Amino acid sequence: MKRNLFLKILFSYLVIVCLSFFILDLLIKDEIKKVMTSKIESELLTYAELIDLNSAQKMSEQLKQIARISGSRVTLVDARGKVLADSEKDVATMEDHFSRPELQEARLRGKGKSIRFSQSIGVDMLYVAITMKSKSQITGYIRLARPLNDVQNAIEKIYQSIFLAMMIVVALALAIALVFSYRLAAPILSMERFTERLRQGDPVGSIFLETSDETKKLADNINYLVDELQSKIRLANEEKSKLMTAFTSMTEGVLILDAEDKIEFVNQALSNMLAEQYGDINGKTLMEAFRNVDLQKAFFKFRQTHAAVFEEVTLGSIEPVILSVSISSVHNYPGEEKVMMVFHDVTRLKKLEKIRVNFVANVTHEIRTPLTAIIGYLETIQAGATTSNEDVKKFIDISLKQAGRLNRLVEDLLVISKIELGEIKLHFEEVSIRDAFENSIPLVEAKAVIKKINIHNNVQDNLSYIWADRDRLTQILVNILDNAVKFTQEDGSVFIEAGQKDNHAVLTITDTGIGVPKEEVRRLGERFYRVDQSRSRDLGGTGLGLSIVKHLMIAHGGKIEIESQLGRGTRVSLYFPLKHINRE
Amino acid sequence: MEEKRHTSSHYEKELQEIKNGLIYLGALTEKAIHAAMKSLSERNSDVAHEVIQADDEIDGLDTELEEKCIQILALRQPTAIDLRFITTAIKITGHLERIGDMAANIAEKALLLIEEPQLKPYIDLPRMTDLVAGMIRDSLDSFIRKDLHMAQKVQQTEQVIDDLNEQIFRELLTFMMEDSKSIHRSLMIMQVSKNLERIADHAKGIADMVTYMVTGECVRHQTYPLDEKEPA
Repeated sequence: MKRNLFLKILFSYLVIVCLSFFILDLLIKDEIKKVMTSKIESELLTYAELIDLNSAQKMSEQLKQIARISGSRVTLVDARGKVLADSEKDVATMEDHFSRPELQEARLRGKGKSIRFSQSIGVDMLYVAITMKSKSQITGYIRLARPLNDVQNAIEKIYQSIFLAMMIVVALALAIALVFSYRLAAPILSMERFTERLRQGDPVGSIFLETSDETKKLADNINYLVDELQSKIRLANEEKSKLMTAFTSMTEGVLILDAEDKIEFVNQALSNMLAEQYGDINGKTLMEAFRNVDLQKAFFKFRQTHAAVFEEVTLGSIEPVILSVSISSVHNYPGEEKVMMVFHDVTRLKKLEKIRVNFVANVTHEIRTPLTAIIGYLETIQAGATTSNEDVKKFIDISLKQAGRLNRLVEDLLVISKIELGEIKLHFEEVSIRDAFENSIPLVEAKAVIKKINIHNNVQDNLSYIWADRDRLTQILVNILDNAVKFTQEDGSVFIEAGQKDNHAVLTITDTGIGVPKEEVRRLGERFYRVDQSRSRDLGGTGLGLSIVKHLMIAHGGKIEIESQLGRGTRVSLYFPLKHINRE
Repeated sequence: MEEKRHTSSHYEKELQEIKNGLIYLGALTEKAIHAAMKSLSERNSDVAHEVIQADDEIDGLDTELEEKCIQILALRQPTAIDLRFITTAIKITGHLERIGDMAANIAEKALLLIEEPQLKPYIDLPRMTDLVAGMIRDSLDSFIRKDLHMAQKVQQTEQVIDDLNEQIFRELLTFMMEDSKSIHRSLMIMQVSKNLERIADHAKGIADMVTYMVTGECVRHQTYPLDEKEPA
């Protein structure tokens, strides 16, 4: 940079110097030559006049002397051109001089001159001739000749001085160019370094120059631009981080497609929703990433209508999630359109909706069954189809039984809804586990005796108390014991045990009953869920028992665990937290 | 696998379109198979009708994709891997179209089976369906990713499907021998199972084509070590 600038300046100086020398040469050289030649000419003419004044014939002997004084060669020629005398050469060897241009000119005008290259001494010679007259008759010519060496020498001398001057000028130019280029380059150089650092992303402050010329203005502009740029970058970063914070913290899943329909961005929420079922989907197209016809159709629809599209899609094959997706376009640059998809996880909502619909359907079904029976029997009696008192009594008994079942169902439903709404107040007190069982067992004993089922109460006396609502605890235990008796064949057994585990009191009721298939265990506790639909209804259940127990256990801060083996029996474990009792 | 980009972005886009179209077609057939099996196991005739109707869409997409492929062949004159890609794509659409037809077949059988009481709970058929759908998915995955390993997985799963088909066949045979009234239903179910088995064959066909596309080596009509155990 600096070198370049220096060379440029130096070169321009040199051009100026050379040009001026050339012009000088052009203008001066000829001028000097002309002036000097005419000066020599007039000098020679003066000498020639002097010679003329005296008698030429006498002069011929003194020619050599004249030649020495005048510094020239003197030749005397007669009117016909014959050389009479010469200061340097022997007359006899010299040819006729009549045709010489200077003599011809002199014959016509009285004096003449000529510049010729002399072969004999090898330099340019100036010849000057005048006529010698007597009575206006040309009697002869006097010719003086002098080599123009002097002129050449003088010119050369002048040129030497000029060259010397030029050299000095060049040297000066070199020095000036150096200084000048340095002064000029220094601020540019520092600006260059500054911008270079800026380009590499180093933190830069601002640039200060000591000059006050145009470069100063430039530096000020650079400083202004840097400030502007940095504030813009900061602003952009802030915007970006704001956006990222919004995207990452929002609960909706966000997916952005770039102009080529490839996935450009997926936020954390969406990754969580999909539970890594699709691997890395960045850079893929929708179809490549999800393989979902419904999603692709929604996207097609969006592409066709260019209006926001709302759709519900199910993604994931292992763990399906139902997502409501809205597709809309994002314009950030003109001509560059991106597509944003916002996903909302509605799996739970859908599940709840399904549960609600099922619940209503179940309740209706459960209520309708006994009602149909009651209405049927009552209609039969009303129509008088049977008159036998025995039949009527039987019909009324059945109707009553069904009505009772209806009543139980409604009561159970009420209990459940109360628990769910949190309207049931539990009156916590210290309840002895043994007492609890002793209160509950008699309520199911009658049934057990009929089925010849042995209830083995193995609860120790010295067990601690649990913190519970006495009536609800009894309800829980009766429910479980009732189930145990109900689903155990004749001559079976029910074992009751109690112990402690992980800060919990554990009450275990094990039966040797029919058990529950493994895949169904998870669903126990769902409202109206029955493993064997027909059978359990025959046994008089409402399908709500375990559901109530589950909710009551949650209200007690405990939990229920069911293990079962088909055909072998079921073990129900009730966990009550111990923390309230340990204060003793 | 890192893919090289073509200089012509338009060409690149055309290839991507074909790729997307194939996956879409694959997803459609996959959905059709699942829906057909759902209509059978849940005895839902509405779903069955939907599957039969959806086959038209599959057929339409098949012709559309094939035309696109031929257009690329004519206009772009692809070479090497691109040429194999296009020719493979043409063959794959054919396979997928046939799979769509078979899903419709299953749905038709389901419509007939719904009319009659259920012969037995379906356990193996849904399992087979899941496996077959997985094969289609994997075979297309292997195509998109040019993944030989995945293609081999599909080629091996085909044997499992054959075994399941055999098992269902034997089971239904006992039903038919016990009760002649069950023959009609048994035959239907057998056809469903046969259709699934043929879908698996097509999925394997796709996987074979992928092997050809990636290696340039033809592996169709070859037997695998697993095949040899099978008594002819």
